[in-house]
Amino acid sequence: MSISLATNSGNYQISDQDSSLLDTLERTGHQIEYQCRQGYCGACRTTLTSGSVTYTTEPLAAVAPGSILPCCCKANSDITLAVIATITVAA
Amino acid sequence: MSYTTFSQTKNDQLKEPMFFGQPVNVARYDQQKHEIFEKLIERQLSFFWRPEEVDVSKDRIDYQQLSDHEKHIFISNLKYQTLLDSIQGRSPNVAFLPLVSLPEVETWIETWSFSETIHSRSYTHIIRNIVNDPAEVFDDIVANEEILKRAKDIAGYYDNLINATQQLHQFGEGTHVINGETIVVSQRAVKKKLYLAMVSVNVLEAVRFYVSFACSFAFAERELMEGNAKIIKLIARDEALHLTSTQHILNLMADGKDDPEMQEISIECFQETQQIFIDAAQQEKEWAEYLFKDGSMIGLNKDILCDYVEYITNTRMAAVGLPMAFEVQSNPLPWINAWLVSDNVQVAPQESEISSYLVGQINAEINHADIGTFVL
Repeated sequence: MSISLATNSGNYQISDQDSSLLDTLERTGHQIEYQCRQGYCGACRTTLTSGSVTYTTEPLAAVAPGSILPCCCKANSDITLAVIATITVAA
Repeated sequence: MSYTTFSQTKNDQLKEPMFFGQPVNVARYDQQKHEIFEKLIERQLSFFWRPEEVDVSKDRIDYQQLSDHEKHIFISNLKYQTLLDSIQGRSPNVAFLPLVSLPEVETWIETWSFSETIHSRSYTHIIRNIVNDPAEVFDDIVANEEILKRAKDIAGYYDNLINATQQLHQFGEGTHVINGETIVVSQRAVKKKLYLAMVSVNVLEAVRFYVSFACSFAFAERELMEGNAKIIKLIARDEALHLTSTQHILNLMADGKDDPEMQEISIECFQETQQIFIDAAQQEKEWAEYLFKDGSMIGLNKDILCDYVEYITNTRMAAVGLPMAFEVQSNPLPWINAWLVSDNVQVAPQESEISSYLVGQINAEINHADIGTFVL
């Protein structure tokens, strides 16, 4: 069963090899802000439109309801994020 | 209310607010009202580093080869960073500790401030290496009008809070005549000053610092002043944690569960909070103008830096629940992330080099199947 990621720019497959949702976003051409990639800086904070995530590392940065830190979580099921791809990557 | 270093009144620390409760007596961490601060302390301690670990000797040669206007950009930026950390190395202690009432928050503030003193020491380490007379650089910080202009604004919120706290502790609430001048002291007014000072600190660490980081990394992007960039990278890692902490404090204040009066104040200060962000962004743009007054450098000029100021201000405003103030949507300096990323900074040798640490490990997990054939 594969999980898919929907953004404002299209639909993408989440690969088992992506170690975090941030990896998936970067691989699919979404230039998300990042710094620590460990959940403490909050730079990658992104709006979650639908779906849910599980954190692989409990984030230290503030996460308001409705937003996620993609650097330290994985999608539980199909997921929708309010982000735009800045680079076009062959699907 | 007055301050005491060890209150002999027994209290339940879990019921105290972060600030303006009973001063902390026992520094205990077996229980926490806000566990986040304990986690921040642990993370900050794990980041410990010393400036001498970074070799900056090549920077001296690089610096000699910079053109005059580039030297101006580099040194001015370093002076500004020195100013910011001079303030941050002492002010959280002086301003917040007399008001704090939770041990984990108290220790976090001390740990936070201490790490800023490492930053200050690293600027001396850098400056000593690149110029013959460090005094020329340091002395100019309190003479340079452009720097002083900003120092006034940054220190202002701290100073207002410190003065008001002293009056509250010394005279208590009420109307007093001091040296022929009538002053009205109210705890609520001091709370408001604390809230605004916290916003100003968040702006300092989340906006102002990042603008200066962009300048430092712009040199390194051209393979110049790389020792400096390595140090700034370590500083940026600490600052990322600090800005997370002030965002948490502001969010906890706005939330109202910690102190309902603080929530009222945060609502009341909504406009003023936005204005602190917008004013800081404006000052940073004026600073960009000063930095690039004699010319740009490859990869960075006044306009790009101003766009970055707007971009970073937007993201930081969003993080504390404020509407974004500027139009700019995407990062005009996307390469900065590669320099800011901190999961590849130097680690202790026993973690990366001495493999026996891992080879000697034993799998300590045992399940029933492993001992199924055992007979007693």
